[in-house]
Amino acid sequence: MRKILFLAAVLTFPTGFSTPLAWPAADPGRIVALSESESPLIAVNVWVKVGSQNDPQGKEGLAALTANLLSDSSTRQDAYEQILAKLYPMAAGYDFNVDKEMTVFSGQIHRDNLAPYWELFRNSIVSPGFKAEDFKRIKTQTLNFLKQTRRFSNDEELSKELLYWAIFKGTPYGHPEEGYVQSVEAITLEDVRAFYAKYYTRDNVVVGVAGGFPADFAARMRNEMDRLPPGRIADIPKPAPAPISGIKVLIVEKDTKATPISFGFPIALRRSDPDFPALMLANSWFGEHRTSVSHLYQAIREIRGMNYGDYSYIEAYPKGYSTQVPPTNVSRRSQIFEVWLRPIAMTAPGTLHDRSLFAFRTALRELAFIADQGMTAEAFETQQKYLNNYSVNFGNTIGRRLAYRMDDAFYGIPDPGFLASIRKELAALTLPAVNSALKKQLQAQNLWVVFITSDAEGLKKKILEGAETNITYAGKQPQSVLDEDKIIARYPIPVKPADITIVGIDQVFERR
Amino acid sequence: MRIFLSTMVGMILLNVLPVGLAAEGKIFPFDYQLVQLENGFKAYLIRTPANGQISYLTIVRAGAREEWEAGRSGYAHFFEHIMFRGTEKYPNYDAITTRIGAARNASTSLDVTQYYITAASDSLEQIVDLESDRFMNLKYSEAAFRTEAGAILGEFSQGRANPYLYLAEKLQDTAFDEHTYKHLTMGFEKDVRNMPEGYDYSISFRDRYYRPENCVLLLSGDFDRARAEQLIRKYYSPWKRGYVPPQIKPEPPQKAPREATVAFLGRTLPILTVAWKGPAWSATDKLAVAAEVLGRVAFGSNSDIYKRLLVQTQKVQSFSGAFSLNRDPNLLTVMAMVTDEHDLPMIKDEMEKTARRLRSELCDPRSLSETKSAMKYEFLMGLETPLAINFALRDIVVSTGGIEAVEDYYRTLESITAQDVKAAAAKFLMDTGRTTVTLQSAKESNR
Repeated sequence: MRKILFLAAVLTFPTGFSTPLAWPAADPGRIVALSESESPLIAVNVWVKVGSQNDPQGKEGLAALTANLLSDSSTRQDAYEQILAKLYPMAAGYDFNVDKEMTVFSGQIHRDNLAPYWELFRNSIVSPGFKAEDFKRIKTQTLNFLKQTRRFSNDEELSKELLYWAIFKGTPYGHPEEGYVQSVEAITLEDVRAFYAKYYTRDNVVVGVAGGFPADFAARMRNEMDRLPPGRIADIPKPAPAPISGIKVLIVEKDTKATPISFGFPIALRRSDPDFPALMLANSWFGEHRTSVSHLYQAIREIRGMNYGDYSYIEAYPKGYSTQVPPTNVSRRSQIFEVWLRPIAMTAPGTLHDRSLFAFRTALRELAFIADQGMTAEAFETQQKYLNNYSVNFGNTIGRRLAYRMDDAFYGIPDPGFLASIRKELAALTLPAVNSALKKQLQAQNLWVVFITSDAEGLKKKILEGAETNITYAGKQPQSVLDEDKIIARYPIPVKPADITIVGIDQVFERR
Repeated sequence: MRIFLSTMVGMILLNVLPVGLAAEGKIFPFDYQLVQLENGFKAYLIRTPANGQISYLTIVRAGAREEWEAGRSGYAHFFEHIMFRGTEKYPNYDAITTRIGAARNASTSLDVTQYYITAASDSLEQIVDLESDRFMNLKYSEAAFRTEAGAILGEFSQGRANPYLYLAEKLQDTAFDEHTYKHLTMGFEKDVRNMPEGYDYSISFRDRYYRPENCVLLLSGDFDRARAEQLIRKYYSPWKRGYVPPQIKPEPPQKAPREATVAFLGRTLPILTVAWKGPAWSATDKLAVAAEVLGRVAFGSNSDIYKRLLVQTQKVQSFSGAFSLNRDPNLLTVMAMVTDEHDLPMIKDEMEKTARRLRSELCDPRSLSETKSAMKYEFLMGLETPLAINFALRDIVVSTGGIEAVEDYYRTLESITAQDVKAAAAKFLMDTGRTTVTLQSAKESNR
C-alpha cells in the first residue's frame, strides 16, 4: 500500500510581487503553501489579522459582522444571488470565522472547479459590494442570533462563553465575538466600511493553500490579495485578566431542567511555550475533549451517570459540541484552563441543585488532586501512548492541516510546525516534567464558575450554606463509590457572599 | 482500479489523475473487496489514501425504526451507549482504545446504529478482536445499565434547549400514525424516563438486531488487504446468526393534509415546516432519485423561493429544503425560520405554490443539470478521510445491505430528466400527503 508522502512547506516569497516586501521579521510568512499533489481537493485559507479584540467600544461585534458581510453578500462583480448560483453546481461555499485575534475565510473545492471558485472567494474579500440590503439581512440574522438563539438554544455553549466573559471582563477579550445586542444594534454600514478599510490591508493578510493545487497558484493567490491597499496595524497589548482571588460564581437564572457548568482561570501558557506538550498530555488525561479517556468523564458520567460528558481544556475550544477535534484558527495570546460539565439533569430522585453542586464538587476535587499530586507513572505512560496516535486525528483533513500551519504562523512556531512535531515532543516528555508543568499551571482555589439554572437564589443559598449535597442513583453502586460520594458531598466550596453574581437570562450579553 | 503515484518534489506538482475509472464511468474512485462470511456478515475492504490510518465502521442496520414495541422508543440509541460497557474478555473497552490511541465513537439515527474507530493501521488486529468480541459477547450488569440510563437522560435534557428538536418531534408524531418513524431517535420522554427498568428488554433488543446478517463492516484506509481478510474471517466467523426482523407496520396512505403547532419553552423566532410523504431511498428507482433532485431544484440554495424569501424580501432568517430519503418512506421536508410571525401564512402559501408549480411545469434544464453537478461534487468532496469515505457509503449500506449500489445510484441520477422531476412532484408533493407544523415560543415562559 502506498503511503502519502506529505511535505509541508511554508514559503516566503521575497521578490516578484507587487507589494514590496517589508513584512516585519516577527511574521513568518505571507504565504502558507502545503502541497499534497495527489489530492483532488484544494483548501484555501485567508487570515486577516483582526478579531473581536479590535472592536471599538460600543460597537462590539463589528469584526464579526464585517467578516459575515464579506462572506455572505454581493461583491462588486456579482449580486449575492448570482454568487449562490455560481457556487451551487460546485457544491461549494466559504466559511468565515472571527475569533478574539483572528479573522479567517476558508473553503475547500474539487480541483475541477478551482478557477471559478477562487474568483468568487477572492472577490468576497478584495471587492465587497457593501450593499445596504445585504447589510440589513446580515445584521438582522445576527440580532436574531444574539436575542434568541444564543440565550435559548444551547445552554452549554452559553455557559462556556459566559466563563470567558467573566474572566476577561474589562479587557479586549471581554466581549463575545458576535457582540452584545445593543452594540450590534448600533453598528451601521459606515462602521463596517471604515473597519474594513482600516484592517483589510495587504500587509495585514496571510494567504494559505493546501492540497492538489497548480504550481503557480499560491503565488497567484498572494498577488491577488495584494490588490488590497497597504496599511499596517499596531499590535494591541495582550489582554491581562484581573487576578482571581477565591471562587467567584456567576449564576444565570433561566427556566431550565438541566444545569450546564463551566469553570476555569487564566493560565500563562501558549502553544509555542516549552511547557505546552507537558500540559497537553496532563490535560488529555484529565479531560480529553469528548472522549471517554477523560478522567472527569469517568468520574461524573461513566461511574455516576450524572450527565453526557465532562472535559477540560488548556486552549480556547469554541463550539466544542459540534466537533471532535480541536477548532483551528482560534489562536490567542491569553488562554484559560477550562472545565466543561455538560448539563446535569435529574437522572435520579433528589434536587437539581444538589446534583449540580455534587458534579461541581467532584470536578473541583479531581482538579485539586491532579494539581497537588500530579499524574501517576502508569497514567503518564498510558496517556503518552494514547496521544501519540490520537493526535494524528487533529490533522485529518487538508483544510485542518492548512489551518494548523496558519496557527503556527500566529504563534511563531517554526517548521515543520505544531502538527508535524507534536508526536516527537510528546514522546520526549518525562513524568517529572509533566508534573512540574502541572504544578506550575493548575490549581483549584482561584477560579470563576458559571451555572445556568432555574431558582438561582436557591443555588446561591446552598453554596453559601456549604451544606452537604448528597445524590442518589437509579441503580446500585459499589460501596467504594458510595463512600467516596460522602466525601465529595461535603467537599468545601469556599465562596464569599459578595462573590456570587446572579444575572437573568434576558440580561445576558444584552449590553457591555 | 485507481493507481496513485505519490510523487512530490518541492513545488513541482504532478497531477496524477485516476486513469481508467473515468473511462469505465464509475464515480467511486477507490478499489474495494467484499468479504462475506457464512454467517451472513459482510465486510468491505476499501483501500484509500490514509497516511497510516484506518477507519473501522460497523453498521448495525437497526435504529429508531426497529423500535416497534410500545413503550420502547429510544432503545437503539440506549443500546449504542451500552455497547461500550465491556465483555468478559475485555471488561474495560475504553482502556484498550485509549492504549492504542484510537478515536472511537458511535451514533444512532432512524435507520442505523454505527460504531466507528479511527486508529493507526498497525492496531488493526486489536481492533478486529475488540470489535468482534463486543458485538458477540457484550456483557453488562443491571447496575451498569441503570447508570447509563442517567447519561441518556442527561443527553435528552441538554437537547431540550433546542427548538428544532421539539419541532422535529411534533412533525414525525403528526405525520405518522403506524410506522415507527412516528418517534425520533432519542425516543419519547416517558420511555426515556422509564429506561432504568428496561434491562431485560435491552438484552432482547441486542439478541434480535446485533446479528451478523444485520451488520456490515466498512474498513477504509491504509491496510494490507489479505491480512485484513484473514483477521475478519478469524474473528467474526464464530458469530451466530439470529436476526429477527422488526414488526414495523406500514404507514397507511395519508388522506388529508395535517397541521399542528408546538409551543417552545424558550424563545425563538417562529419556525415553519412543511413536509410531504416521500418514497424510500433507492439507487435504481427513478422516482425516488428524482425526488431528491426535486428537493434541491424546488427549495435548495439556488431555488427561486430561497432567493426570494431569504435574500430579496428577507422574510425568513433561514431556509432549508433538502429531501433526504430513508430506508422506509419518510418525509420530504422544507423548513424556514420566519422573521415576523404575521408572515407565516404567506410563507406557507409560497411553499405550497412552489410544490404546485413543480407538479404542473417542467423544471429549468439548467437548474436540473446544476443540481446533478452539485450532488456529484458533494459526494466527491466528501471522500477525503477514511472515516468520511465510510460515512459517504453508509446510507447505501443501510438501505441495500452493501455498497455496490453506489454506482447504480449515480447512474440513475445522471439519467434523471425534467419529466422525471415533474413526475416525482406529481406523485409526492400532493396536498393530501402534506403535514405542516409551526413552532412558536410559549409567550409567557422565561419571564
